[in-house]
Amino acid sequence: MRDDPIAQVLDDLMRLDDIYACIVARRNMISVMPTDEQFKPEVNQIWDVIKRAMDDVFTVIGEYSGAGLTEIEFRLQNYEVLFYVFPEMENALVAIVPALANKGLLEVELENARRDIFKIMNTPSQTTDTTQKDELYATA
Amino acid sequence: MKETLETAIGMSRKWEARDAGREVAETAIQKLNRPPDFFLLFSTIHYEKYGGFQEFLNGVWDVLPKGTPLIGGTVPGFMNNYGCFSRGASALAVSSTDMDVAVGVGKNSKRNPFRAAKQCAEMIHNQLKDTPYKNKFLLNFISGPVIPSIPGVGQKKYIRSGFVSKFALQALGLSQKLMQKGLSREDEIFEKTVQQLPDYQMILGTSMDDYKGIKNYQFFNEQLLTNAVVNLGVATDLDLGVHTTHGMKPTDLHFTITKLGAQRHAICKINNKPAVPEFLRLLDWPEGFLTEETMLHTILYYPISLRRQGRDVPVVTPLIMKDSILVPCVIDDGEVSILTVSGQDLIQAVRENLRLFNDIQPEFGLLSTCMTILQTLGHKTNIIQEELHSYFKDKSFLLFYSAGEGTYSKDNDITYANMSFNTAIFGKQETKK
Repeated sequence: MRDDPIAQVLDDLMRLDDIYACIVARRNMISVMPTDEQFKPEVNQIWDVIKRAMDDVFTVIGEYSGAGLTEIEFRLQNYEVLFYVFPEMENALVAIVPALANKGLLEVELENARRDIFKIMNTPSQTTDTTQKDELYATA
Repeated sequence: MKETLETAIGMSRKWEARDAGREVAETAIQKLNRPPDFFLLFSTIHYEKYGGFQEFLNGVWDVLPKGTPLIGGTVPGFMNNYGCFSRGASALAVSSTDMDVAVGVGKNSKRNPFRAAKQCAEMIHNQLKDTPYKNKFLLNFISGPVIPSIPGVGQKKYIRSGFVSKFALQALGLSQKLMQKGLSREDEIFEKTVQQLPDYQMILGTSMDDYKGIKNYQFFNEQLLTNAVVNLGVATDLDLGVHTTHGMKPTDLHFTITKLGAQRHAICKINNKPAVPEFLRLLDWPEGFLTEETMLHTILYYPISLRRQGRDVPVVTPLIMKDSILVPCVIDDGEVSILTVSGQDLIQAVRENLRLFNDIQPEFGLLSTCMTILQTLGHKTNIIQEELHSYFKDKSFLLFYSAGEGTYSKDNDITYANMSFNTAIFGKQETKK
């Protein structure tokens, strides 16, 4: 995990105050988590319901990513969950942020992260072994 | 001797302050063949928690040749040839055999803006008064606003309580004088600077944190400052131009400001009625519609075209205090209008601005633009980066986000605006055939 370049991109995001959690995921599966596999404590109490809602959103992503769906977001209680879909894939970078965060600024860094991760995914030597990760983090 | 001009963009995404300082300087100067004649340095606020800004500056000076004129400060984000970022540090380093450079500083900009502006402008004037170069440029970079924390309320953009609002409006001037917390007064500083240095073409920017308005820092050579004005003056034979555009469009909604407060920074009454309810009525928004949350999604898209000494001053509403609208600059009363703007309009303003420089072969560019554009466009701000990239191609450009910006030239006078896009482009004017 420590050398996983995608996890390192997520680690960078987690250092931003208003990113409470971030993962690379698809329906029913978290493919990559930050290195220490920890989210900020604010998310813990609501994680289960967010996770269920996320899975429903991934059904929509699976349906429309081929049609050009690039972003989707929903608000649940005091949190917003942002999905940055990787082009032509059913995977997305997912981030949980507080509802009143300065989202514009966060979006800039989430987009940079999406680009970095997409580049890593398309570089054969660096590609995260998602099969192995799927086994590790399958939550369905 | 043959004229040489070299420019470079430095960049760091490292987290530790000292490492980032070193890297931003290294990545800039390694692309130059001679030491830079000036070094403009902008950073996001994150280094405050990762070693602090003195360490960040120490890192820069580990690498940068001693004596290089340096100014800059914290900003909510920046864009350059490499992309658009709301975390990290970037620098513009310029080296030229045909250029005179000066830097200046003025302290206590919120307590005594005129003295700070004068002191800073005089430093530039004294250093550049004998320059042989015909074109003069100034970057006027000013400590941005700090929202005072109100006891029992905290730092809010919308204050509902009438009692607290009344107290806050009255205490604003006192807070600026005693604690240097409040509006940044960049409009007043800019006006004074223009008065002192009327032959310069200028671009105005302000220092800020990550849109929260809690703290901001300015850099002046090795010094780390707060509540300061820092100036970069450049005299050159390069052709240069500055220009402001914004995408705000007039609506048919007009009103008359009938009462101002807080040293002409607050609109207390519109059409002889309390300002906020009347403003909501004009926009056909229900009472209670504006909250801390909805302000971000609504009011930013409805700026107001105010007036100051005969000039139009389009601004967004940063703070609402019960029935009063606080504005970021000194304004005049009288008839004004509500504007509207969309994301597409903002991007169009960038295109329109760059079109004005079509006859300049750019060598490098410095740009300031409103942080509300970053907030409203989010990652779509990359569209602006692509526009700039296609204009500048392989030439260096650095855009920083700001909380109050503008330009000045003898031809266009002062343009101060929120939600605006401001360019300073250095290059060679193409001769018409």
